[in-house]
Amino acid sequence: MTMTTKRAACSLTLTAAILCLAPDARAGDGRLAIKVGRIITNAGPDIENGTIVIEGGRIQSVGADAKGSWDAEVIDHPELVAFPGWVEAHSTRGMDRPNENIEVAPFLDVRDSIDPINFYFEDCLRQGVLAINVQQGNLCAIGGQGRVVKPFGLTIEDMTLRPASGVKIAVARPARSRALQAQSVRRAFRELRMHLEKLVQDKKDGKDTARREALFQGRDPEKDENKKGRAMDGASTWKVSDLEIVPRGEVDEKQEPLLRLVEGKLMAFVACDGAVSVTQALDIARENGFLANTVLVLEGDAWKAADRIAESGVPVVLAPQLLYIERDPITGREIETFVPGVFREKKVRFALQSQNSSTQSLWFQAATCVGYGIPREEAIAAATKVPAEILRLGDRLGTIENGRDGNILLLSGDPLAVTTTVQYVVLDGNLVYDRSQDKRVQQILEGIEQANAAPTGVEDPADIDPHSGEKKSGEKKSGDSKKPKSDEKKD
Amino acid sequence: MSFFAAFVLSVALPGTEDPEQRAWTIQAERVYTGTGRNLEKGLVVVSAGKISAVTPGAGDDGERPRDRLSVYAVTAGFVDIGVRVTNWYSVEQSKEVTPHLRVADTLDPFALDWDRQLRNGVTTVLVSPADRNVIGGLSVALKTAGPESISARTLRADAVLRGSMGSEPSSGNHPAFGRPTDFYSRRPTTRMGVEWEWRNAFFTAAEKRDTKDAGTATLIAALQGKMPIFIQAWTTQDIRTAVFLREEVESRPEFQGMNTPRFVIDAGAEAWKEPQLLARSKTAVVLPPFPASARTRENSLMAWNVAKVLEDAGVPFALSGHGSGDVSDRLAIQAGYAMAGGIGFESALAAVTSTPAMLIGVDARVGTLEVGKDADLVLWSGEPFQPGTRVVATIVDGVLRYEGWNAVRGAEIAR
Repeated sequence: MTMTTKRAACSLTLTAAILCLAPDARAGDGRLAIKVGRIITNAGPDIENGTIVIEGGRIQSVGADAKGSWDAEVIDHPELVAFPGWVEAHSTRGMDRPNENIEVAPFLDVRDSIDPINFYFEDCLRQGVLAINVQQGNLCAIGGQGRVVKPFGLTIEDMTLRPASGVKIAVARPARSRALQAQSVRRAFRELRMHLEKLVQDKKDGKDTARREALFQGRDPEKDENKKGRAMDGASTWKVSDLEIVPRGEVDEKQEPLLRLVEGKLMAFVACDGAVSVTQALDIARENGFLANTVLVLEGDAWKAADRIAESGVPVVLAPQLLYIERDPITGREIETFVPGVFREKKVRFALQSQNSSTQSLWFQAATCVGYGIPREEAIAAATKVPAEILRLGDRLGTIENGRDGNILLLSGDPLAVTTTVQYVVLDGNLVYDRSQDKRVQQILEGIEQANAAPTGVEDPADIDPHSGEKKSGEKKSGDSKKPKSDEKKD
Repeated sequence: MSFFAAFVLSVALPGTEDPEQRAWTIQAERVYTGTGRNLEKGLVVVSAGKISAVTPGAGDDGERPRDRLSVYAVTAGFVDIGVRVTNWYSVEQSKEVTPHLRVADTLDPFALDWDRQLRNGVTTVLVSPADRNVIGGLSVALKTAGPESISARTLRADAVLRGSMGSEPSSGNHPAFGRPTDFYSRRPTTRMGVEWEWRNAFFTAAEKRDTKDAGTATLIAALQGKMPIFIQAWTTQDIRTAVFLREEVESRPEFQGMNTPRFVIDAGAEAWKEPQLLARSKTAVVLPPFPASARTRENSLMAWNVAKVLEDAGVPFALSGHGSGDVSDRLAIQAGYAMAGGIGFESALAAVTSTPAMLIGVDARVGTLEVGKDADLVLWSGEPFQPGTRVVATIVDGVLRYEGWNAVRGAEIAR
């Protein structure tokens, strides 16, 4: 078969694949051989003119001489570059609303808030972000549990890569005193302790309130996994003795996630609005035994506590704004600090966050790092391998290697170049995105105006408060057109 | 991969003893002159604040005199004719039309805005009054560094007459039903009111021809084409209004002797919709920064191929960062975004250097790397306009005004 006919056949199969994008079609048993001009494996040297073979949704082999089975579907694009998908370590988007107005709510799950057809996920796919850790916003003391999702699928289950990726904890909150907020967080753990102690005491006293409460909440304390008690595990400075006499199924479901956190079985994404909250965050994590499972989500001048963070060994997710600018109080001049550079120097593992889901997505952040002197491999790793490891998905995402998830971006050029576009996305071995079929890209690129041009999920990042992830209220951006009052009256 | 390799500046620490040193030899892998003649491995020689030579040559690798800088790429300093560093206090609000007021009088040479521009490679800016008025006044073309006075940095005083269409000049005004409640109980309150102010100003000037009145004299000069008229118009409807206004001036007998205005649409986000209209009326466009989603101010839709559409239609266009110092909004990255929308590197370079210089009449001095022009240079760590490339130094009038290699904490820009 000549190259041209192969290509023609391939584009036919591509079309077929696009036409049948129903969830059933992506069971991941497809055999796929992707031939490209260059493979950036992100795990060693690039491979020129190589092939990636995917079977059963996983990468089977990669190399210049890798061969797929005879019946594998072939995607042959010598002009394109293969790259593993980008990984978003933390995002508060993709939900209908990022915050619940309950202060301590670790029993909530973003599962119930994620909207699979939110425009955000479409944008992620378009920019090649193939895993997103969706977390609650920061308007909480202890928030709900996040979830790592793929930007494709019609249901949450389809999208999910890893449920219960961790709870959000905010040690500071806008318009609230730091003391009060810190107290709220600590009180949550004190209440957990009191609850557990009461369970133990009740059990010793022969009361069965907890069992009845569990039944009332719809849990079956007699089920095998619920029946067993277990001594309190983990590295917390406090322990509830004799907890083994309480069947785990009798722990209140509102408290249970916090117990998992304390026992080191759940991660915490702790939002720090600045250097001042870093110590607070680390102390709380140490006291309650989840330091080893903590990721700090940084904002503002939190980089100034880089030494503290380095000491603690926790990884960080950096604020989208990579260049921190402050004014020298003496000279009045602006001092610029390149935040990733600070953490690199202190040998802290850091992951990047997108500024928005389109023009300043993860590729842009990684490219900016290169501009400021971070070696290219490390800059790319900060938006692929490192976030994958932080999310405990290091063996599945971030590189093109045997055994990894069959997630491949086919790019028109270098992943960090401004003119490069994502041409195709293969997710779990299925072709899920083809730029030439992407209507909205055409609208944005070529300005095809739509009558109803504001789909849900389209947000101007300037309108979103970086701290809470909520839309800013009140204040309008200067220059926004104001409707003359006379019009309003006529309406 | 050398594309993104941070390039090492291999020089002795330049000019610390003499901050006003004005003589340099810049050795670059790529010299982008902006004249169509680019050099691979070339030298740009600066003496007495002017460019004295642009020649091929790798220079001498052995000896490193202290006036030699070695970088990956060099371009002319950027010209941003849309910087928005003024606030509403730069506009006299007692009248809607104040053509003769000079924004230069409100500017502070010590403001941080100039440094921000310098850090991003912008060496010449056109500063205009904010668009609180319909016709705000006279803009000034300035260097972003130099002596600590605005007049000494001025490249061209009264470079542009500046005004706005659309909803911005009327925002905040409200009609007085019954008794006026405050100062803002006034006209215009709508787009048509704004346009009426423009036409009223032009027709009154044409009728009076009173050159003793400063405002009228300015309007007459502008209508005679002695300075361009910059009109902010984000949306198609406002662009049309501006273009039709120009055509009215050109064709009506009232404007005899003053019917050759030069219009420039500023912030023409929707210019892609009717490029032939702009081409027909010989109107140039200054594009606003590319928005993250396609919608931008005034709810205008800015297609990513807007620069390409204008280029194809033969409409001169300049890009603008609107004064942002942010790495993701600055002028250099706007050129990159325009390239992503389809234009080539040379067009993108022209849109941030020679074209804006030409539009405000300072192209004899800035905008390209040519012998005799001001030594306004940007030194780059890699290919310009890529997010992975930094400005490592900016030279204005031959003086090294920004040295990126030691300016940013946490960044590793080797000397």
